[in-house]
Amino acid sequence: MTFRIRKRRRIFVELICSQSRSSAVGTKGNSPVSNRLPAGAVDCEAKNMKENIYGLLAEFDTPTEMVEAANKIREAGYKKTDAFSPFPLHEIDEALGIKRSILPFLVLAGGVIGLLTGLGLTYFVHVYDYPIIVGGRPFFSLPSFIPPSFELTILFAAFTAVFGMILLNGLPQPYHPVFNVPRFALATREKFFLLIERRDEKFDYEETKSFMQSLNPQEVFDVEE
Amino acid sequence: MIRNTNFDAPAEQINRWRTLALGIGGILSIVILIVALLFPEQREQALRSWLLGFIFWGGIGIGGLGVLILQYLTGGAWGIVIRRVAEAASRTLPIIFVLFLPVMFGITYIYEWTHLPNDPIVQLKQPYLSVQWWIIRAVLYFILWGVMAYLLNRWSAAQDQTNDADTALKLTNDASKFSGPTMVFYVLVVSFAAIDWVMTLDPHWYSTIWGLLFAAGWALSFFCFAVAILAALSDKAPMNRILGSRHFHDIGKLMLALVMVWAYFNFSQFLIIWSGNLPEETKWYLTRWEGTWKVIGILLIFFHFAFPFLVLLNRDLKRKAKWLAIMAIFILVLRLVDMYYLIGPSPRIGMNGQEVDFINSFSWMDIVAPFAVGGIWLWWFFGELLKRPLVPINDPYLEGAIEHGKGH
Repeated sequence: MTFRIRKRRRIFVELICSQSRSSAVGTKGNSPVSNRLPAGAVDCEAKNMKENIYGLLAEFDTPTEMVEAANKIREAGYKKTDAFSPFPLHEIDEALGIKRSILPFLVLAGGVIGLLTGLGLTYFVHVYDYPIIVGGRPFFSLPSFIPPSFELTILFAAFTAVFGMILLNGLPQPYHPVFNVPRFALATREKFFLLIERRDEKFDYEETKSFMQSLNPQEVFDVEE
Repeated sequence: MIRNTNFDAPAEQINRWRTLALGIGGILSIVILIVALLFPEQREQALRSWLLGFIFWGGIGIGGLGVLILQYLTGGAWGIVIRRVAEAASRTLPIIFVLFLPVMFGITYIYEWTHLPNDPIVQLKQPYLSVQWWIIRAVLYFILWGVMAYLLNRWSAAQDQTNDADTALKLTNDASKFSGPTMVFYVLVVSFAAIDWVMTLDPHWYSTIWGLLFAAGWALSFFCFAVAILAALSDKAPMNRILGSRHFHDIGKLMLALVMVWAYFNFSQFLIIWSGNLPEETKWYLTRWEGTWKVIGILLIFFHFAFPFLVLLNRDLKRKAKWLAIMAIFILVLRLVDMYYLIGPSPRIGMNGQEVDFINSFSWMDIVAPFAVGGIWLWWFFGELLKRPLVPINDPYLEGAIEHGKGH
């Protein structure tokens, strides 16, 4: 539901700003990642920006600087934050206070459900639905039921791991506002970015922006919704 | 710079353990020896108990050689921090051979097939299962293991001596290249040894997964032993600067994997025999399906597999050295119970294939002998551990491995 509302608002913003934006990009050159595109390159009225931004994005040159800044952001009490880096940075979890994923427990639950499904299926088939005497053994012969139960345990656990990972990551996500900042494309190459979202309780455009400037970033960008 | 730091083992601490181990092992060995020499009717039991201790502790040393080969083959930070423990375990081969001598000289007291010249199945196996040929094979196993252990230890020692980074890298690469094909031979030799030393206790019975059961089981024994040693050293210099929670996490994962492999192999063996339902195969399980043997078997399923499996799934436990060490010692105790489950119920000489129940077959020496063998083995092991720095100081991957341990 929230997704739909946000999307509608984005379309609204685009309608308002489309004229000025296209002209701004046109004057700054055609490359989407032109080397020093200043903050707020999308030339919209400042008042409008404040109402329609998704959050503030700070760019850093090194991972160390980013982790230090992330620590300060967490200490300042911001919760709805995110970090972007070209490679995994384990320190950032602690720095931003990101909690550990619940995925392991989901995988365990998936495995247990798989095990019960396997045992239930074999029991249902061999004892209840279609009992046949095989090799003079009892209908319920646990040793021969273990391999299918084991396989279903693995199958369910693996599916939970893969699909749980995808869903918990919020994927598939065809649109994310941070890509509205052209320099954000460098997050896959050599730059490090920290984001504070507007839906954070402590978020205040002027205050948060000056706070992020105080973290010594290369630049602070407004992220359009 | 890492080269100038002192990585020698804490001699005072280890020497104290060493003395303790020799004291316990020496006294108890003498007790077993006296019993075996003075009471001929107890000789069979004394030697069978000794075999139990030998298979358990010798398995840790031989498993150490396997893990040494494995870590050269796979690389990784866990291999660098565990390497010196594995090397010291592989250099216990001489004492393992000495501990093997009672089994070798007492072969006619332990193995029923040495007394069954008219048994048709044993007659068919005669070309393989003769006393001379059994002894020649055993010596051959020790020679082959010895060559593997000698070469890997020599290269590692040469690497400690060198000042040249290229030579150091070349020695690591040589050891890695050597380890690939050697792994194949190692597992084959372990298979033959496990069949000769344990499976032939029941000369009519056979299992084709037997060797893998021991290759995996001995590796698990060694990993558990190494975790206990590393955890004991982890808060003292020099290991407190090296070991991080991530090293224990990695080794804990390997323990979890091997606990699962052990259960998998055991179940594979059971399922095939259960499905086939042939009298010559099921007899082995039927013996172990009676009375107390059955209780031990069920105990193994729950405490050698289910409990460690569930506990080792936990990430936080694997990252805490002390907790992982407690779990490792718990698994080690169950490893001994597992060996007892394999050795204890097997037929005895002069019983004419009659089954022996637990009450009549369990002896106080089954508890004493593992301590006797273990004390002597540990005494030798700690002596070897003292001889070299606790990490391969010139290994090109050492600094990366230390960094790895501090990570998440």
